[in-house]
Amino acid sequence: MFVARSIAADHKDLIHDVSYDFHGRRMATCSSDQSVKVWDKSENGEWHCTASWKTHSGSVWRVTWAHPEFGQVLASCSFDRTAAVWEEIVGESNDKQRGLSHWIKRTTLVDSRTSVTDVKFAPKHMGLMLTTCSADGVVRIYEAPDVMNLSQWSLQHEISCKLSCSCISWNPSSSRAHPPMFAVGSDDSNVTYGGKVQIYEYNENTRKYGKAETLMTVTDAVHDIAFAPNLGRSFHVLAIATKDVRIFKLVPMRKESTSTGPTKFEVQTVAQFDNHNSQVWRVSWNITSTLLASSGDDGCVRLWKANYMDNWKCTGILKGDGSPLTGSSGQPTAMSTVVGSSVQTSQNALNGMSAGRYFFPPLDPPRAGTRYGHLLPPSSLIEHCDAEPIQPQPQALPHRLSSRSLLPLPEAEGQ
Amino acid sequence: MEKMSRVTTALSSNTISGRTMFCHLDAPANAISVCRDATQVVVAGRNIFKIYGLEEEQFVEKLNLRVGRKPSLNFSCADVMWHQMEENLLATAATNGAVVTWNLGKPSRNKQDQLFTEHKRTVNKVCFHPTEVYMLLSGSQDGFMKCFDLRKKESVSTFSGRVICFSCLGSFYVTCNSKITEGWLATGGRDKMVKVWDMTTNRAKEIYCVQTIASVARVKWRPERKFHLATCSMMVDHNIYVWDIRRPFIPFATFEEHKDVTTGIVWRHQHDPHFLLSGSKDSTLYQHMFKDATRPVDKANPEGLCFGLLGDLAFAAKESLISSDANRKPYPGGDRRYPIFFFKKPDPTEQFAHVSSALSVFETDLDSNRMDWFVKTAQLYLLSGKPFAELCDHNAKVAQELKRPQVSTTWTMLRIMFSDPANLTTPGPNHNLSKLGTLPLMNSFSMKEMGSGMGTESRLERSKGDSRQDNIHLEPGNSHISNNNEENEETEGSDGQAEYMFGDAELDDDDLYSLPTSVPEYALPQEAFQLRHEIMDNPSAPEHLQQDKADSPHVSGNEAEVTCLTPIESFSLISISQPLYSPHLPASFFCPIVREMLSYYAEQGDVQMAVSVLIVLGDRIRKEIDDLTQEHWYMSYIDLLQRFELWNVSNEVIKLSTCSAITCLNQTSTTLHINCSNCKRPMSNKGWICDRCHQCASVCAVCHHVVKGLFVWCQGCSHGGHLEHMMNWLKSSAHCPAGCGHLCEYT
Repeated sequence: MFVARSIAADHKDLIHDVSYDFHGRRMATCSSDQSVKVWDKSENGEWHCTASWKTHSGSVWRVTWAHPEFGQVLASCSFDRTAAVWEEIVGESNDKQRGLSHWIKRTTLVDSRTSVTDVKFAPKHMGLMLTTCSADGVVRIYEAPDVMNLSQWSLQHEISCKLSCSCISWNPSSSRAHPPMFAVGSDDSNVTYGGKVQIYEYNENTRKYGKAETLMTVTDAVHDIAFAPNLGRSFHVLAIATKDVRIFKLVPMRKESTSTGPTKFEVQTVAQFDNHNSQVWRVSWNITSTLLASSGDDGCVRLWKANYMDNWKCTGILKGDGSPLTGSSGQPTAMSTVVGSSVQTSQNALNGMSAGRYFFPPLDPPRAGTRYGHLLPPSSLIEHCDAEPIQPQPQALPHRLSSRSLLPLPEAEGQ
Repeated sequence: MEKMSRVTTALSSNTISGRTMFCHLDAPANAISVCRDATQVVVAGRNIFKIYGLEEEQFVEKLNLRVGRKPSLNFSCADVMWHQMEENLLATAATNGAVVTWNLGKPSRNKQDQLFTEHKRTVNKVCFHPTEVYMLLSGSQDGFMKCFDLRKKESVSTFSGRVICFSCLGSFYVTCNSKITEGWLATGGRDKMVKVWDMTTNRAKEIYCVQTIASVARVKWRPERKFHLATCSMMVDHNIYVWDIRRPFIPFATFEEHKDVTTGIVWRHQHDPHFLLSGSKDSTLYQHMFKDATRPVDKANPEGLCFGLLGDLAFAAKESLISSDANRKPYPGGDRRYPIFFFKKPDPTEQFAHVSSALSVFETDLDSNRMDWFVKTAQLYLLSGKPFAELCDHNAKVAQELKRPQVSTTWTMLRIMFSDPANLTTPGPNHNLSKLGTLPLMNSFSMKEMGSGMGTESRLERSKGDSRQDNIHLEPGNSHISNNNEENEETEGSDGQAEYMFGDAELDDDDLYSLPTSVPEYALPQEAFQLRHEIMDNPSAPEHLQQDKADSPHVSGNEAEVTCLTPIESFSLISISQPLYSPHLPASFFCPIVREMLSYYAEQGDVQMAVSVLIVLGDRIRKEIDDLTQEHWYMSYIDLLQRFELWNVSNEVIKLSTCSAITCLNQTSTTLHINCSNCKRPMSNKGWICDRCHQCASVCAVCHHVVKGLFVWCQGCSHGGHLEHMMNWLKSSAHCPAGCGHLCEYT
């Protein structure tokens, strides 16, 4: 169950990105109004804006936090063809008392000739590295050789992806068995050819990034891409926001020790959902990679979760303004109107009961003993949320099952 | 499209149609201008001065004004202006400071009409008076602006260069087509800003300001659109932007055709907003159709979404997306690229102008905080310092209390698998726990060993299908809170069945997940007799052997108690009181299973379990898992712990880890500088004995014992001691417990 807390962001134009810091206590937002705002969570859970400053001379597309080991550092990228690195300055006693903090620009990265569409810090174990991708299809990897000096960044790699890039994601795995790897998504709108997601991997021998995989099945413009946190898995999971939500699994094939080429991957489409029924803009994983959130043009956030069989299901819908979800929004057409209205009714009842601020992910199983139980649709209705997930290839099954069956008691993760 | 534009432009006297097209020029253009009826365009540059006709499909060169054997600098144009009333009259601003007028009506090839050489330096701009036919205005880098009367041979008036629009050596340009109707003036300059001034009052007032990404070269109001203006920049940026000044951050439309700096832009017809002509340093002349423009706002992401550490979600979205469904455009039918002149309802211009985002945070409510279990588990788990069996029991209990029966069961199983049977002294808990442990054990055994009877998969499917029996197995895990609680077990009902199993976001339409509401009859008392009675009914089957093996350590400890629980489908998996095999199975027997189990946990996102088990089992399992994987798990877990700021746990894990790569995490770049508490001199790095006074430096100032473990000291007086002692002391006194009189400060 979620409680929506709306925040008066006071940005003068669209907010394009929100980003939590490592510990989840700070949040940064960036907007077309050329500014970035930093929000701090107070003791009572309220979010306060502690800094707001003009960062660029164009729309700021993305903002991202560096690992706190490197200090309180933000990176932003913009339509004005630059990316910038910002650091919070401590010790400004006047500002501190007023609950404000001061951020100064450490560097501006001006190599791009077009709009810089995404900026991401590489995983911490790689050092202080920053990656940008731009609308002309170039990915640039910068490194700060001296982590104490954030004003010095050297361009380490320049990778041309041929297609206009819109988003980038690092594989967060820290295992030495996984070479550094990132995925780039393209918002090229030409649907006649696929491969809108490309995966690049670092090659130790050539000391260069080479293309390891192209997801040819992705033909529509990709707006966001996110590797799931890798907590000790041997494979990688990638979520993609395109005209639908897709989840891919990349299983590295065992590599011969002599081969020098990039790792070969077995690519499995684990799930594909068009429940948003519109353009999907963002995907985000929770910290244990058990839950995926996606948001689309329908203005809803949908939560996806896999069961023990690796079947992904929609487990909740959150409406941006906390209003009840109407039957039409995003429910697949298979659902009868009766069902729709019953869901709606129960929603309304729920919301009426809790003054409109609480809402229950409508597809949760009813929980015995909670007062909401009787208001929820019978469990048979829950089916309607399932888009047909694509089953993994059968040959992949035996191993998976054998490991599963060892512990068939599925656990309710993170109650 | 064509029809629409015809309709709109039918307002004016003639109809314009066309498409996006371009032609190559011989040389870079500096400026362009169109004649009044929008059929011809003049292009002027350092080495070019030509007139092109605008036809439906292409540009046609009409006239080359650059004639004569000896090229004069007068032809080197910085700006050009076509008279808007006199069709044959042109004026150019030359880089040598000359202002030249041209008369196309002249019969000779050289159309030069008049020459004004009053400016001392390059003339940046020429402009005809919009209503007075003979008035011509010029602005120059010499800081003067001159007004010429074409009937005379000289300027009629000169303005000082400090006029606002020509200050800064001509870096400000004024659009010549400033909005007469509104009384607005747009200026753009090197400060990368386009400002719109309201000139109707005595004092010009800035009413809008657009920030661009490069110095602004030209600004042109878009015809028929009150708030639109087009800009191009003088360096860096090659694009032409059309801005809606009410939304000064995102260009309304962009033309990206040019490969070099765009030097001249002009709307083709003064009443037609759909055609824009541009000349560029890349030696091309373009006609842009507005419908072909790219709309940056379409690519702009209207939403932001991020998962927080504790499972809260931050979500920012365009207000129109979340407020009403009316504006929603389904994909892909709702084409977001409607050209502006498709006047649909609501007006896209209006939609464009008023846009904002709503930011909200979805927080998981406190009771079901999604990551609480992780923090609690991390804090409560015991990883070392006790016998193996106790650690397992403790951790099983922790997991149980956090309602994670599967994890709890796993711990119990581990204890059974790896414990030395001789150590089992507490039969009560063992018994109960062993029941919990049975199911997974059985599964694994049947899979691994039961090759003859039945294939792994079919076996599995059947066990899945049989939900009733699964339920039985689940049941004890559910309400089993205290280990020694037979009563509870016997009376347990169906209460809370559903609660322990499902998280907030769980669907229960899977066989294994669904729990029938009927109360299972199963309740296994601790008394051996009843149990044995049950067993008697069951025929023995080959599986018993395996089962027996599994639980044999336990059985040997407590003969009377039987370990097997319930039959799984057709197999009656029971155990026999007399073990057929030696009860002392080598622990290594279980290693493959445990390894698989750990991988399973890691893949499910519970790396905590994998690492905890790894540490607790220690050498028992370490060799089974390759170092890279171990290291990966450790790193992942430590990273998670640090995210939650569980520094102590993280440190403990680092300390207990056996991977060299992990243990060295603690030893790099950590330096401790301490003073001897006796002589107050800095200590060398050799242990805790002071070189000078040869005393132990880490004596607690409160209890005078040597401190082992957490040591805290005041940086001012170098005295300190046990953390707890110091905390207690400081409650009562602010002075140093050593009596040195220092007012100690601890943070």
